[in-house]
Amino acid sequence: MMFEPVGDDEVELLIERLADGDPEVRRVALIELANTAQPEAVAPIAKAVEDPDAGVRLQAAISLGEFDGFEAAEALGIALVDADARVAQAASDSIAELKAPEAAAALLPLVEHVSGFVRASALRGLKALRHPEALAIGVKAMKDPEPGVRAQAVGVVGYLKAEESLPALIAACRDADAEVRRTAAGALAFSKSPHAADALIGVLADEGWAVRECAAETLGKSRFDQARGPLAGLLDDDVWQVRVKAIRSLGQLKAKEAVDRIAQSLHHEVSNLRKEAAAALGEIADPAALPHLEALVNDPDPDVRKNVRWALSRIGAATG
Amino acid sequence: MPLANTPTSVPVLVDAEKCIADKGCTVCVDVCPLDVLRISEDTGKAYMKYDECWYCMPCEADCPTNAVTVTIPYLLR
Repeated sequence: MMFEPVGDDEVELLIERLADGDPEVRRVALIELANTAQPEAVAPIAKAVEDPDAGVRLQAAISLGEFDGFEAAEALGIALVDADARVAQAASDSIAELKAPEAAAALLPLVEHVSGFVRASALRGLKALRHPEALAIGVKAMKDPEPGVRAQAVGVVGYLKAEESLPALIAACRDADAEVRRTAAGALAFSKSPHAADALIGVLADEGWAVRECAAETLGKSRFDQARGPLAGLLDDDVWQVRVKAIRSLGQLKAKEAVDRIAQSLHHEVSNLRKEAAAALGEIADPAALPHLEALVNDPDPDVRKNVRWALSRIGAATG
Repeated sequence: MPLANTPTSVPVLVDAEKCIADKGCTVCVDVCPLDVLRISEDTGKAYMKYDECWYCMPCEADCPTNAVTVTIPYLLR
């Protein structure tokens, strides 16, 4: 950690140490070069991704994460195919930190790489760069044979929040891989289109609980009123995590007709679910919930009691 | 009064074999918010000089050679 200004000769000195015969000295020099945050440090660090010592290459991949731009991205692309898995993973993580649009030029060729890990990492890096070709590249990669690549591709496309990507994202909601479907359901959050709502309502019947959970949450966030019925259908889902999100969304949608069914979750053994049910009943603020809530003012969980009292005061104010 | 001559163990342990502080590394010393780690003048390796710890873990996580181990007390786990 270096907060005082760095002199040019100090950077020079550190660059000289990168040629030291001891790999540990080279490694420490890389750490310190990254701490200088000087642009002239990028080229020597970039060269170190081809060091014979794996520890030095690992440090180079980590240190490049402190920089941005084409040169850093290009070197990280080399580290991505390193024989040592730790180096490749560190490079992938550093690529995800890139923000400068110029970095995209180094990542674009990697989208077609033979290795799925490289393709996925390149897409992961492209996501935040908002390259003009990202939409086309992402949509194409959504047909990749590897699920990990498809999930990253959905991330790239979803990040652009473009209405024209809706058909592709909706198609990804029916992907063979659960993680891809979950990412796609989350990515649909930007859209107010009824097609997105229909797709998400379809996902509520997904076999993967994390996918259902995500769709239930997104429907509430996007305030899709037409989802009230289907969400209420999820109130007896086997997985309580799904019910939590369905209840929260029904609260956001002020689903008065679901009050009695939400109230049934007030007696579930999982306190997170009781807490969420009390909060949703407060959001809806329908007097029909009063007897259910009053029965719970002495719940053993303080968070539940807090939400119950808040809900009671909301209903009191609404009927007041 | 008995003398406190029993060696005590400190929560932050540094594997001297792996530590590269003698090559100029000071990562763990720099990241510690309590500033209780030092580089030994005798061995050139990092060690816990003051037995005071928040168990916040950056010394272990940021060590480039995974030489640092923080032992979190049972009751904090």
